[in-house]
Amino acid sequence: MRRHRWAWAAMGIVLVGLVVFGARSTPDAGTSDDRLFALASQMRCMACAGESVSNSQAPLAIEMRGLIRQQMRSGKTDDEILTYFADRYGERVLLRPASSGLVSLVWIVPIVVAAAAVAGLGLAFARWRRMSETVAEVSEEDRDLVRRALAKRGGGPTR
Amino acid sequence: MNLALGVAGLVLGMIGALGGMTSQLVGLRGGRARILERAPGYAALCFLGAAVSFIAMERALLTNDTTVRYVADHGSSRTPFPFDVAALWSALEGSILLWSLILGGFTIAVALKFRRKLSDPLVGWAMVVMFIVCAFFFALMLGPASPFRSYNPAPGFDGPGPNVLLQNHVLMAFHPPMLYLGYVGFTVPFAFAIGALITGRLGEGWLIETRRWTLLAYGFLTAGIVLGAWWSYEVLGWGGYWAWDPVEIASFLPWLTASAFIHSVMMQERRGLLRVWNLSLLCATFSLTILGTFLTRSGVIESVHAFSESDIGAWLLSFFGVIVAVSVVLIGWRGDLLRSPGRIDSPLSREGAFLANNLVFSVFAFVCLLGVTFPLIVEAVRNDRISVGEPFFNRMTTPLGLALLFLMGVAPVLPWRRTNAETLRQRLWWPAWCAPGAVAVALAFGARGAEPLIAFALGGFAAGSALRQVGLATRRQGWRGFVGRANGGMIVHLGVIVIAVAIAASGSYQHQGEFSLAEGATARVAGHTLRYEGSRVVEAENRRELRARIRIDGGAVFEPRINQYLATGQEIGTPSVDVGFRRDIYLSLQRAASAENATIGLRVIVAPLVQWLWFGGAIMVLGTALSAFPGRRRRNPLDPVSQPVAETRDQPVPV
Repeated sequence: MRRHRWAWAAMGIVLVGLVVFGARSTPDAGTSDDRLFALASQMRCMACAGESVSNSQAPLAIEMRGLIRQQMRSGKTDDEILTYFADRYGERVLLRPASSGLVSLVWIVPIVVAAAAVAGLGLAFARWRRMSETVAEVSEEDRDLVRRALAKRGGGPTR
Repeated sequence: MNLALGVAGLVLGMIGALGGMTSQLVGLRGGRARILERAPGYAALCFLGAAVSFIAMERALLTNDTTVRYVADHGSSRTPFPFDVAALWSALEGSILLWSLILGGFTIAVALKFRRKLSDPLVGWAMVVMFIVCAFFFALMLGPASPFRSYNPAPGFDGPGPNVLLQNHVLMAFHPPMLYLGYVGFTVPFAFAIGALITGRLGEGWLIETRRWTLLAYGFLTAGIVLGAWWSYEVLGWGGYWAWDPVEIASFLPWLTASAFIHSVMMQERRGLLRVWNLSLLCATFSLTILGTFLTRSGVIESVHAFSESDIGAWLLSFFGVIVAVSVVLIGWRGDLLRSPGRIDSPLSREGAFLANNLVFSVFAFVCLLGVTFPLIVEAVRNDRISVGEPFFNRMTTPLGLALLFLMGVAPVLPWRRTNAETLRQRLWWPAWCAPGAVAVALAFGARGAEPLIAFALGGFAAGSALRQVGLATRRQGWRGFVGRANGGMIVHLGVIVIAVAIAASGSYQHQGEFSLAEGATARVAGHTLRYEGSRVVEAENRRELRARIRIDGGAVFEPRINQYLATGQEIGTPSVDVGFRRDIYLSLQRAASAENATIGLRVIVAPLVQWLWFGGAIMVLGTALSAFPGRRRRNPLDPVSQPVAETRDQPVPV
């Protein structure tokens, strides 16, 4: 029993160790185009039907990718580039909804709903637990009934 | 000729639907079995009507009969096989026709399957619902979305052909029919749910009757979604397969609620729990298929699938409203009958895990629904347009996906009712070791970064549990260890895990580059060398293909191309992919060489494990089929499972 606990702890340590090792060592360096497309996937192609700048092959999308490249060359950070595009095309260009004002509700509401659902489930379990503490004793008569039913099926409580 | 035949088919179908509905209602009212048993005849009329219209439309498309407006708009004499056949579902009206054909097929199949039980009021009411849904779709086609409008073509007129995106890959011949088989299939369990509510026979009988219908629809929906992702990868030229486009989400929403249902229904069948919830999930699944159709076909939301917009939005929204209202009212009305007697003893049990699963799936569906409708809400409140796209969905759904992977690891080994720590420790020992094992393998292949590694760890854990269950089942039951609900379900889990690993890997470790290359020039991406060897032009029947010849790593030559469609002059790219088990090299031609500019624009994406997605999808479909296969006999309903057991120490925990 005790040894078992140690074994589990060892497994946990191995797992965490491996993940931490993998998370700390540097991944192979991305190309500058990787950054370009990562940024482009956060912007809407304004001339397309709901596609991002990264996904679209429309002329405007290719032009916008050129603009992003230009901004990257001038040494701007990701946030600065996104702000530049938001100023130029309006907030709608950003595919990531803002985290302030009315729009932030889109982030908050799911978390509230999830928390409420978890809490509700927890309460339900607490209630069921209270109920099961008041379970009626199973009488010998009942047990007999079950035994007879099972015997009739020709076998014990198997599956 | 085709026009007349098509309209005649629609009228025939409408007569079948309305006649069937009326006769069923009359039969139910008078309790007259003789009348109820006529349902197959009316169902046959529905199917026959839809089939006649469908054949008329296909005939019109194949012979390019431009007196039919739809053919003039979406057909062309130069569209090659099989795209001329698939042109039927390349736009709204034809899609509705395909939908009706499948619905007619399901209606007749249900009527025949239950032919010995047609006098049962529950089946009678289910048939009423099927006929009403049929009538709605025939009404759509006789009214606002008529595929058979007449057209008076000028001499020599030839249509533009289907949307060029849809002529670009043969998968378009399979993806929509699969998806519709899934969507429409959920009508059957919904109809039986309504029948059970109306008759008040809310025991578990109707659920067991419709179990395989639900699985059938679920399998087709899964296949449809995966094929759609594959199509997107092969055609759209951005090296991805899922963009959180509203139409993708619309197909995903019913899949999520159906997944929740397939799990939680087991609690009802086994222990009589969660009746209200299960009914609600079924009603939600069906109404979400209609809502999804509304969102994407009414033009309220911008989508890459906008080729099938029209003004049937109001119809679909009203129908959706009616479905929701009827479901809510019926569930409320039958609330007393639905109270389940049982309860869940411990959170650490199969039931507890299913509840957690349902919670995650529901929140998942809620996030998707909120994300897709939120821009509409903001526009209504503030008159301001915002976007909710990929970054939002990725951020919100990643933790939910990881939670599902974790549950897939724990839940299969949990016994029903309750468990103790010792059992759990013993059963989870080897599956748990699969987590560090998977991480170690991933590290050996060069995977780095916390998020994907956590996904691999949980994937390994879940795979360990699934394999443990499959192993135990096959050892006990031989080949039958692969079939039946629980065993087939484990196969589905393995498919989901393969897909999850593929999503994590291809999303996290992809490298891209966009290049302008002159002939003979090379580009390098992620250690691969791509040499532009020159261009060539291929003349096809309906298009000119401007192909660039790209040699990968000094080996094989691939030819991404741009297709110029002659009928419309539209240009659209077709990527070329060097597929592999470990990685894909995806080449997408963005600009062909021309007289003014001899260079080509080439986009290169190197992504690992993309092919695993389709493989995982195939495993999921196979698993769904296996779980519909009759497994070992269900346990005897007399078995004592629904009464609480007293804590006993001398009894072994049932395996």
